[in-house]
Amino acid sequence: MIRLENMLPKALLTGVLKMVDLDGPEKTLKWLEGIGKDLAEIEGAGFEGARDNNILYLPICPFGGELIEFIEIYGGQPAQFKQVIEVSDNKRDNSDNPWDFPALSNILGVLHYSYVKRRAEMAGFKIFNLGCRSPMKDSDYIAYNEQAIEKVNMTKEEVDKYLEKAYCVFKIEPDNTE
Amino acid sequence: MNRMEAHKLYENSVKILKENQHENGGFYASPPGTRYPFIYPRDHSIAILGAISADLMDQARLGLEFILNAQKPLGEFSQRYDIDGNDASYKDLQIDGTGLVLYTLGKYFEATGGSFFEEMADRDFVLKYWSTIRNAVEFILMNKNEEVDLIHTINSIHEYPAYEHGFEIYANSACCAGVFSAVEMGKAIGADNNELDRWKNEAEKVKNAILTRMYSPRRRSFIKCIRVKDKNSKPIAYDAFASSVIDVDAAEYAPAYFELISDHDMKTQATVKRIHRHLWDDEIGGLNRYPEHWNRNNGGYGPWCHFTCELANHFIENNAQDLAEKYLGWVVDMAHNYQLPEHISTIQRFELWVEDYTNAEILRDSKIKMIEQTRNHPKWQDGLAYITIPLIWPHAEYIRAYNNYMSKFE
Repeated sequence: MIRLENMLPKALLTGVLKMVDLDGPEKTLKWLEGIGKDLAEIEGAGFEGARDNNILYLPICPFGGELIEFIEIYGGQPAQFKQVIEVSDNKRDNSDNPWDFPALSNILGVLHYSYVKRRAEMAGFKIFNLGCRSPMKDSDYIAYNEQAIEKVNMTKEEVDKYLEKAYCVFKIEPDNTE
Repeated sequence: MNRMEAHKLYENSVKILKENQHENGGFYASPPGTRYPFIYPRDHSIAILGAISADLMDQARLGLEFILNAQKPLGEFSQRYDIDGNDASYKDLQIDGTGLVLYTLGKYFEATGGSFFEEMADRDFVLKYWSTIRNAVEFILMNKNEEVDLIHTINSIHEYPAYEHGFEIYANSACCAGVFSAVEMGKAIGADNNELDRWKNEAEKVKNAILTRMYSPRRRSFIKCIRVKDKNSKPIAYDAFASSVIDVDAAEYAPAYFELISDHDMKTQATVKRIHRHLWDDEIGGLNRYPEHWNRNNGGYGPWCHFTCELANHFIENNAQDLAEKYLGWVVDMAHNYQLPEHISTIQRFELWVEDYTNAEILRDSKIKMIEQTRNHPKWQDGLAYITIPLIWPHAEYIRAYNNYMSKFE
């Protein structure tokens, strides 16, 4: 259902499709990352979510409701979303610092990660996205960043423990780990 | 009221306040290892007010430094921070926190001067943080609706948008008082008069709107909230939420709590009568924060120590010693080992709440932990559920009420 009052989130998601069609998934990825970064700079340093010492996790997916509704009215997962996620995953696989990439279970993870990462940087911390569970109905898909899990000396089982009660798991470390 | 016990509770409250300030300056809402080991600007500000009342001026200053340094780029003080001052909020805007920080800073500034304000007041501190103060005022004014001259928020004192999203009484009173405090501090340091006049004018408009739009002459009470979804809705009559929350709430005492109106004013007196009539707990004593049917009483419906202390202050100010004793004496009687909980419930009400939340699948980890702690607390054997003990906020409010009581009646 689209009403003028609730159009904006759907407009952003439609914008992603249009951007991919117009300029390709790579530029769309950068565009989304840029939005997250700019918004983070407006909001300032910090960490949003539940905390277990230096583990940050989100018990609910902040974009889940909007994303599910968009995909329902669109009639299925748009191919353009998948293309952007593939570009990000390929970059990670070919990077010397693969732990510096998001674990993407959905397109809005790009926006989320760039926002969270920038806010953490401003606070003097580095953030590692260990895993994300898909918010889609009837989906038990989980995206991991296995290199990030290894980098922070955790195991997939430990990450899974958090993912039983969360959609997204991060580890916060002081920004001198490199 | 048992004077000796009251004094011992006072002494322990001061001790608890000191022990729960991190070396970086933040006052924990509850001690590390308990339910709220973060710094919440709302609780933190009240803790500073408690410190000022107890003449812990160094602690108050350190607390203010902590929070003023944690301001966000837009001028907001957000829901909560970690001990290093990093924003750790997970809830939408609660603008009363920003007003409270300004109001508390104003109280600190006033207290540093005391009777020798001109010579003694800590002007250097205000000067050091003047740009922070300016940003906070502008953030508040950015959230003011020009049609009704009220400040918009999503959450307020109860962190409960269902009843607080819109123009809410506590948030408006805190912010209005905060802007007035900023004006006074600005005058004392010789800040730009044009800017101060503009702020004062805006604060007067908000105050007038609180006293007219948020007071119901037929109910003879302030009202809780004018529900409006979008702060920029114009006209607000067409806003999707447009309605009023007229249920009684202890927060409706806020205009007097923040000194926008006298405790002797008929509007305050009538509001307090309504609060007392509907929220005094006939079974356990003490003051509930809002009606039971809101059913968001984590740990079961029951009275809150800090709201009880707030109203005790009203009765003290009005020379109503019997009621002041009834309120403050209840807090003294309910302390366990001279510690105060967030609120108190009965086993029956507690288990009813557990049933409701279990059936609805809305219990989360922190609440499950709280259930376990409550059932293991010694007071459970007396048929009472003590929720989150100690909480720092009621200790700070107790310090203030006790000192007011002693200077008035002793």
